[in-house]
Amino acid sequence: MAVITYLDAISQALRDEMRRDENVIVLGEDIAVFGGAFKVTRGFLEEFGADRIIDTPISESGFTGAACGAAVEGLRPVVEFQFADFIACAFDQIVNYAAKNYYRWGIPMPVVFRGPSGGGFRGGPYHSQNPEAWFTHVPGLKVVQPSTPYDAKGLLVAAIRDNNPVVYLEHKHLYRRIKEEVPEDDYVVPIGVADVKRPGTDLTIVTYGATVHESLAVAERLSREGAECEVVDLRSLSPLDRDAFLTSVRKTARALVVHEAHLTGGFGGEVAAIIAEEAFDVLDAPVTRVAALDVPSPFAAPLEDAMLPTEEKIYTAARDVLEY
Amino acid sequence: MATENPASFLDPALDRTSIAPEGAVDRDQLVTWYRTMRLARTCDEKLGALYRQGKIVGAVYLAVGQEAICTGVVSLLQPDDYFSTVARGLAGWFLRGVEPRHVIARWLGRDVPPSHGRELGLFLADIEHHGIAPYHNGSMASWIPSGAGFALAFKVRKQPRVYVAFTGDGATSPGDFYEGLNFAAIHKLPLVVIVENNCFAYSTGNAAQMPVENVADRAPAFNIPADVAFGNDIFEVRRVAKRAIDHARAGKGPYLVEFKTFRTRGHGEHDDMGYVDAGLREFWERRDPLRLFSEYLAGAGGLGEAAVRAIDDECAASIEEAVAWAEAQPAPAPETVTDRLFAP
Repeated sequence: MAVITYLDAISQALRDEMRRDENVIVLGEDIAVFGGAFKVTRGFLEEFGADRIIDTPISESGFTGAACGAAVEGLRPVVEFQFADFIACAFDQIVNYAAKNYYRWGIPMPVVFRGPSGGGFRGGPYHSQNPEAWFTHVPGLKVVQPSTPYDAKGLLVAAIRDNNPVVYLEHKHLYRRIKEEVPEDDYVVPIGVADVKRPGTDLTIVTYGATVHESLAVAERLSREGAECEVVDLRSLSPLDRDAFLTSVRKTARALVVHEAHLTGGFGGEVAAIIAEEAFDVLDAPVTRVAALDVPSPFAAPLEDAMLPTEEKIYTAARDVLEY
Repeated sequence: MATENPASFLDPALDRTSIAPEGAVDRDQLVTWYRTMRLARTCDEKLGALYRQGKIVGAVYLAVGQEAICTGVVSLLQPDDYFSTVARGLAGWFLRGVEPRHVIARWLGRDVPPSHGRELGLFLADIEHHGIAPYHNGSMASWIPSGAGFALAFKVRKQPRVYVAFTGDGATSPGDFYEGLNFAAIHKLPLVVIVENNCFAYSTGNAAQMPVENVADRAPAFNIPADVAFGNDIFEVRRVAKRAIDHARAGKGPYLVEFKTFRTRGHGEHDDMGYVDAGLREFWERRDPLRLFSEYLAGAGGLGEAAVRAIDDECAASIEEAVAWAEAQPAPAPETVTDRLFAP
């Protein structure tokens, strides 16, 4: 097995699926000639041709709607949003068309919306957002957010093969920073199945995406201090693997919910509510959340750091829950 | 309201108060088109009555006055071509084999396929049986992009098929109209956009919607051909739409056709149309597509008055039967509400 980056894992999944199934096409801004803003599709135009790797005009709603129509007709389009922030321009096509089509008509729409998301690299208000909660609120969409190269590849393969619209949010700050051994063979990480990234007995940290890594660092630090944290990586937000974190919380009796998106209306609120409803009787401490502050993503480093759920903030919150 | 000069309602070059085909038309075809339009009109009148009787709850949206456009356009399609339209294209659905009883049952919220009570009768998608593609209603512009997507799939697979998106004048202002047509024009996709300009976007007239005289004036932005024609003349609709469909099927890219018409009922039946000038109403009533077609058939068309009335009676009976069938269908069971959210 080769050690590859999170970015390479996404690229590999996409290339493998395009080789395996001629119905897979990719649409997006600057993805063909330029190979994509982050180079996920570098070399794809040469291998697959302009019919399958389509440089679109700057018109997110237009090419998203086109992908949805093509999907109904049996293609399996993967839409690359240059930044997840720009998905707002295509909101109607995703939430009103893609999400509702099967419920209304029983006609499948196999389309993937790839959104490079997340902050931590000074991208400012329009290149840093985590929009997952916009979509988890909409029935009919699947929403996934991998944290590792292995999961990134397996979840993208699963998303492309799924017969439903899938919002696939890939964290830009993980692209070249996170590497691991990834099988070159074909494999799938099933949508709707969480993963325990570190076992523990004293505190459950429920998280996903980039903050999985900060949470693991906190768990390591707390382990040296004598507390064992179990880190549950949700991987899929919709459908949600409730049993995975409920089982963990029943074991540890303490829960900390962490994500990089804003606190208010964030997906962590849903997780906390489920724990409160289903595992209230076992809790030894209040369910606690760590998330971004409720302000737009600022540009300057001191501001962005103050806004993001840093390792230090997670550590402090974890200590509070452990010592409650 | 003051009655305006009729010449301001429609370019006199487009206007006509009697219609006739250019060449000979097969009598069976004439009868088919007329019956389809009459069936839609009769169905709509019945739907309006059911709404007033409280049997249709929510709202009901009719196609009265616009029947010639969808009938003419859909009559030109091949079986594997797709189109999308809301219920303003009711006659187009009928021409593709959709049964009135199913349309009425959907308006009544009954458990009938393909929506099983999840969608009102305003919408219909049934690719498998009728080639009617799914679309949605952010606005009626929303399915210009998805239409381009279907057309893209046809092109990628080198299939000589076309996609016809019916939309309205109001839907040519949202961004999706531009984004979809722009994409389709760049890739020369077989997309035909039929704009039924019925003078009003809900209550807002053309002048408050667009800074151009005709929707077709927007087409140069995409470097595509566009025509403006009189939409209440089934023969003219066919003549103009054929040009558009042939163009798209030949791989020359999208084509826009604007048909001038008038919605003689409200946006929905809840709408009293208080915003419509009396002169405008009168003007279009004289140009009602069913009136023009039946006058032709009874006269120069050679069918005769009695044969036309016989078709009308047959349609009336058929809609009565359809209503009876629809009312007898069960409502969806509450426990099915969470079914079919995701495809297997």
